[in-house]
Amino acid sequence: MTAAAYSAPLLDAAGLGKRYGGVVANDGIDIRLDKGRVLGVIGPNGAGKSTLIGLLGGAIAPSAGRIHFEGDDITALPASERARRGIGRTYQIPRPFLDMTVAENLAVGQFSLSPFISAATATAERRDILDRCGLADAADVKARDLPLLRRKRLEVARALALKPKLLLLDEVGAGLIDSEVSELIALIRSLMDGERSIIIIEHVIRIVKECCEGLVVINFGKVLTKGPTAEVLASDEVSAVYLGTSHGGTAKASPIAVPSTTDDPAPSPSATTAPVLALEGVSAGYGQARVIHDLSLSVMPGQVVGILGTNGAGKTTLAHVISRSLPVTAGSIRFAGNDITNEPAHSVAARGIAHCMEGRRIFASLSVEENLEVAARHVRAAERKLRLERVYALFPILAERRNSGGTSMSGGQQQALAIGRALMAKPRLVIFDEISLGLAPVMMDRLYEALAELKREGLTMLVVEQDVERALDLADTAHIINKGRITLSGPTSVVRADERLRHLYFGTEE
Amino acid sequence: MTVLTSQNTPQRAISIRSPTIRIVIACTAFAVLLAAPIVLPAYFVEIGFKLLIYIVLAEAWNLLAGYGGLVSLGTSSFFGLGAYVTVGLINHAGAGPLQALAASALAGIAVAIVMSRGLFRLRGLYFTVGTLALAEALRLFVINVPWFGGATGLFVTVDLPEIAALFRYATLLLALAALVMALATGSRFSVLLRAVRDDEDAAGQVGVRAFRIKLAAFIVASALIASAGGLQAIKLGAIEPYGSFGLQWSVDPLAIVIIGGLGMRFGAIVGAVLFVAIGELLADYPELHVAITGVTLILLIRFAPRGICGLAEAALRRRGAAPREARP
Ligand SMILES: Nc1ncnc2c1ncn2[C@@H]1O[C@H](COP(=O)(O)OP(=O)(O)OP(=O)(O)O)[C@@H](O)[C@H]1O
Ligand SMILES: [Mg+2]
Repeated sequence: MTAAAYSAPLLDAAGLGKRYGGVVANDGIDIRLDKGRVLGVIGPNGAGKSTLIGLLGGAIAPSAGRIHFEGDDITALPASERARRGIGRTYQIPRPFLDMTVAENLAVGQFSLSPFISAATATAERRDILDRCGLADAADVKARDLPLLRRKRLEVARALALKPKLLLLDEVGAGLIDSEVSELIALIRSLMDGERSIIIIEHVIRIVKECCEGLVVINFGKVLTKGPTAEVLASDEVSAVYLGTSHGGTAKASPIAVPSTTDDPAPSPSATTAPVLALEGVSAGYGQARVIHDLSLSVMPGQVVGILGTNGAGKTTLAHVISRSLPVTAGSIRFAGNDITNEPAHSVAARGIAHCMEGRRIFASLSVEENLEVAARHVRAAERKLRLERVYALFPILAERRNSGGTSMSGGQQQALAIGRALMAKPRLVIFDEISLGLAPVMMDRLYEALAELKREGLTMLVVEQDVERALDLADTAHIINKGRITLSGPTSVVRADERLRHLYFGTEE
Repeated sequence: MTVLTSQNTPQRAISIRSPTIRIVIACTAFAVLLAAPIVLPAYFVEIGFKLLIYIVLAEAWNLLAGYGGLVSLGTSSFFGLGAYVTVGLINHAGAGPLQALAASALAGIAVAIVMSRGLFRLRGLYFTVGTLALAEALRLFVINVPWFGGATGLFVTVDLPEIAALFRYATLLLALAALVMALATGSRFSVLLRAVRDDEDAAGQVGVRAFRIKLAAFIVASALIASAGGLQAIKLGAIEPYGSFGLQWSVDPLAIVIIGGLGMRFGAIVGAVLFVAIGELLADYPELHVAITGVTLILLIRFAPRGICGLAEAALRRRGAAPREARP
């Protein structure tokens, strides 16, 4: 089949629409994509991007519109038939086959498309894909044991095992630091062989900038604008609804007032008070593997501490150690004067540590509001209502969708929900792991404004963040973790100026 | 899992994992079983027969639930179906036991195919309830349609094979089940089946036609269960709807597999041996038997959700001290 054999584009979707009751997720979207092309799709959280991927991949049945692939109408085909024709997709919130190894996860696609492929070929292909996706060391690990960002890579690897003609990537770059983004860009470029077409959904603008020829911007389920990447990114309209202050956008996100419920005055971080959290020589890991080694750090009341480092450095492990969901093998942890080294997670939570996890763990069977309320189930109804109002002021979308099911929300909306849930507990210390994961740039602006406001009110925060600039802007002190040890710490001004940060940033280390 | 061993580990020359060794072990075991009735006292042959039937049922249920995520309470429908087809053919068509058993397997397959459209539309708990309804419906059908002897049931009107012969039939059936299970759980098919179990939608996104995969497992399991039902009917010489379609035939395999290890290769065998042994030891105290089985189930579900085989595997792994992969 030569390219010339088709007068029609590889993919031609016309008038795609999807509604969920009152929510219009997609509304008359037209997408055409020629063979070998790479298209970016951007838009605010909840704009309908993942819905579009679902419609193209066959996971979601459209309420309107038709989809043609290689000239055939595939609108009525189930997902499996579309996959067999060469459409591979990733899930924004990864859905690996949890009880199977990483290699087996890839084998599913291989064996289902070509049941009689030779074992040697299949193994070689798998090894190649895993190498390219940076999962070579994890081939025999159960997917259940992979952390979130590695699961995202597994999503890519699993889709690649189909050798798709059209690859649909849904936010596979979320949560990566700059050097890792560069690796991902290199991977995507290596997939651009002139034959394969790719649709990339990303909030990491660098990826769309460097990989996509054209962009489609979706807002409220409709195509807002489309065109060559540079033009679209430069447009004022796009800055206003999506890019926000960063990336040279002109529009300022409207500042949001956060009504305060605290009547006690904000304690100022002073050197004389005792630390609210102190880790002393802590080591921890999973099974035989030690992930963090002899790590010490302390957090003063009212302080914001940034934790930086590559993925796999041990940041999430550290977060789990502090919230006591992972046992330590050595060292001690003190919180507000009490030794909590051997306390179970729930009693630590009762003491006032809230952990906003990178895996989100939104309850599917609860509504948005119930998801928020469970975090404040022990407080008086009036107080709970106040806190709810506060979270709703922070994220108006949560108020709007308060009765929707927790996991029916978009990826970014779920992240907002997870953050809101951590705040509902009105914690004395909150740990935000990968706080900006999956948030649109404009949403990040608002989030950081809100965090600054919370900081002014005296909330103590430990922030794990891959966006170094934003983290350093917010934090008072920062620690850089590498291979489970703190390699650099100090006031943000000092850390910012340090060479080692740049190494981390640009991946020049070793 | 054995399907992808070549991934990282170099193949060792001789090991329990090598296919040849496994085949030799399996063949020896079946040869011993075939010869067993010559030397064993009749009482043990009886128990052995019961054990073999239970292993076959449990293997079939484990294939569905453990590997395919299809938690069925419809074992009794296919068991009863096999019983009625077998007795009917023996009585009225002059079929020999083997022919009758083969026919009941075919009947099981036919019903599985007919029911699959409706059943596979249901997921999770709804599927389970659907299979339960199927068993109930079949029983009512048999009671109310005049040809099946109503609530009294049917008698086998020809001479029955003796227990030693039945034991050998059961051994053959188990061999068949073992072969099928080896293929279904150690092959590429098992990768697809487990993918459907873990996440049916995600499996669809990588090209797996979930319906066909589930149907294949359902057909295999139904054929095995129906043959086992037929064999049990020949042994009893008489069948009646409450016995053949009894809920016990659906619940016992479930209990066996949970005791042995859900989704574990040897879960059915280990569980069945234990289950039958407890049953024999406490044969005179049926209440105690039920209570002990119940408590065992509760304890296992609470502390060892992967059953005895899961416990053994964990212990082996700890002794081998294979370092677990880091979760950075
Ligand atoms: N199953 C569902 N039921 C109800 N509403 C849904 C469902 N799935 C998605 N939605 C809604 O449809 C809208 C579009 O969601 P979608 O996941 O496509 O957004 P998105 O553009 O991918 O956002 P993000 O950048 O946050 O991932 C959102 O408002 C979302 O809450
Ligand atoms: Mg999305």
